[in-house]
Amino acid sequence: MTAPRPRLAALAIAVGLVLADSSIVVLALPEIYRDLDTSVAGVTWVLISFNLVMALAAVPAAHLARRIGPGRAAAVGLAVFAGAGLACGLAAELSTLIAARCVQAVGGAIAVTAVLELLPATVGSERRAVAIWATAGATGAALGPALGGLLTELVSWQSIFLAQAPIAILAGVPILAVARHEATTGVVSTELRRTGRPHLLANLALAMVSAAIAAALFLLVLLLIEGWRLSPIGAAIVVSVMPLAALLGARLGPDAGSERARAAAGAILVAGGLGGLALLPKAEVVLTVPPQLLVGFGLALVLSALTETALAGRAPQAIHGGWTISARHAGVAIGLIALTPLFTSDIAQQRHDAIDASTAIVLDSRVEPLLKLQLAQRIEDRLEGERGKVPTLGPAFEPLPEDPGDRADVIQLREELQDQLDRGATHAFSPSFGLGALIGLLALIPIGLARRVDL
Amino acid sequence: MNERTEKRGRFLVVAAIVASLALVFTYLAAGGSSYEPAKTQDPCKPRPWRDPEGLQQIAEQFSLSALDGAACQLGVSRETLARALATPESRKRFAQRYGISDAELARAIRAGLLRAVDDAERAGVLNPLLGAPLRATIRQIPIDQAIELIKDARSLLDNLESFLGPAGGLIEQFLP
Repeated sequence: MTAPRPRLAALAIAVGLVLADSSIVVLALPEIYRDLDTSVAGVTWVLISFNLVMALAAVPAAHLARRIGPGRAAAVGLAVFAGAGLACGLAAELSTLIAARCVQAVGGAIAVTAVLELLPATVGSERRAVAIWATAGATGAALGPALGGLLTELVSWQSIFLAQAPIAILAGVPILAVARHEATTGVVSTELRRTGRPHLLANLALAMVSAAIAAALFLLVLLLIEGWRLSPIGAAIVVSVMPLAALLGARLGPDAGSERARAAAGAILVAGGLGGLALLPKAEVVLTVPPQLLVGFGLALVLSALTETALAGRAPQAIHGGWTISARHAGVAIGLIALTPLFTSDIAQQRHDAIDASTAIVLDSRVEPLLKLQLAQRIEDRLEGERGKVPTLGPAFEPLPEDPGDRADVIQLREELQDQLDRGATHAFSPSFGLGALIGLLALIPIGLARRVDL
Repeated sequence: MNERTEKRGRFLVVAAIVASLALVFTYLAAGGSSYEPAKTQDPCKPRPWRDPEGLQQIAEQFSLSALDGAACQLGVSRETLARALATPESRKRFAQRYGISDAELARAIRAGLLRAVDDAERAGVLNPLLGAPLRATIRQIPIDQAIELIKDARSLLDNLESFLGPAGGLIEQFLP
């Protein structure tokens, strides 16, 4: 058997890696969308499929882990996760990528639930094991988008998946010792007991909060890249505010209040942050920072508090951990399925309104009529060239007129037009962010009821 | 659960509420609820002509009125129609997207040009004596020429003679 410290690191990395995967491709979606020539609604299934299969597979995977032994299950799960990751990285079509993501989710579900069975023996305390498991998961989920964005920009979207394989294998090495031990002794280290009912209210709240957090991450990334035309690396830097705030929130720990208080405060902060994103007063990156701080801080509080609540005094841990994983990923999947049609129709409508507003500015401007006609034609060309997306209109104004008066008029016109497009892109996301905020607030109902029922 | 943890929990919830409300109200006060694209005007509603001075500005206002009239007839915005008329390809795409036939487009554009004549008369920049022959001409010109007129009405006002025949030369005297 390996020493506890390397094994603990391996187990935490395995959980973080798998749970980062539910969000790691968020920043790569625009690249995948262009590369595989699909639609916004189609590309969201790269995310939805993983979360949906995780939600469905987590509890059966936990039963499997208890039946064949958590060491063996974790090793097999990580191997499947790594293999499917390679298949994702090599996929040339959206359908192949989505199928590989489903397999990856099955492997991930087996690994992450098995790890929860292995942790108590490694750290010596069930409570500490749950805290480490929840923190590793929350950190992975929060760091995922930034890491994915960096890899997309520096290498390619495929590298996100290809890079996961060696990490999963390295994390599996110390776990193999446990698997070998199980194989040679024939002892399954966990006692097979009858499983109790899952904590319905805590899991329901987890699902709702996860839907709201998915809205924050996914929509903010799309707004930054597709709406405000930031590069993936630029967007990665911007959204890294959320995991940094989550790390701060995680430092508060159980001393900051009861599980119920921390869960309620977290849900309120997530809802408040999403409310802020729904009411952005300008298309400026700096204005996304305060809402992200609230969401990040809130997600660390609420996810750990609700996971602890769902697992407190319940055995076996792997099965109840499976329920929390299932609830979280079901929340993410349902959130994305509910929000995708809303924001895609809003994007199309706002794009149309913004382009009409821009054309009105050109038509009513005081620039020379022939130039107006040329501009209208060039705007139309840009729209055709960037069908379905918010266009960059700057090139439509090149070359600028040589006459200083005309040049000033055209520059002013260009700024007014870009302002209209920024308004359109930002406004298109408002209803979806607003809906996310509402879901976050509604999570307060199960959180509020939880203590009275069965805590 | 000890009392101290309970107290900290209450403080945490209150702090979360304060922080969330502060953010939402700050963004509302900064105009967060009204940050959206400007609304375009209904093309069927009259649009006042802005102080036309000289032939170029009259021609421009004439074009805009004609666009409004045609867009109103087709049930689209003036801006959508302006982009549609930019090139033959964009016109074709527009016709396909909105299911508009060439005949419908031609009718709408002629209706737009007729409205522009009405608006020009109302604005006092076109002598009523010019109205009747101009309307008669507009009803007969081919679609491509009508589109060119919408795009640049100067050709109409500059070359009335070629449009209206020998009477055009006489009529030009009535222009400001």
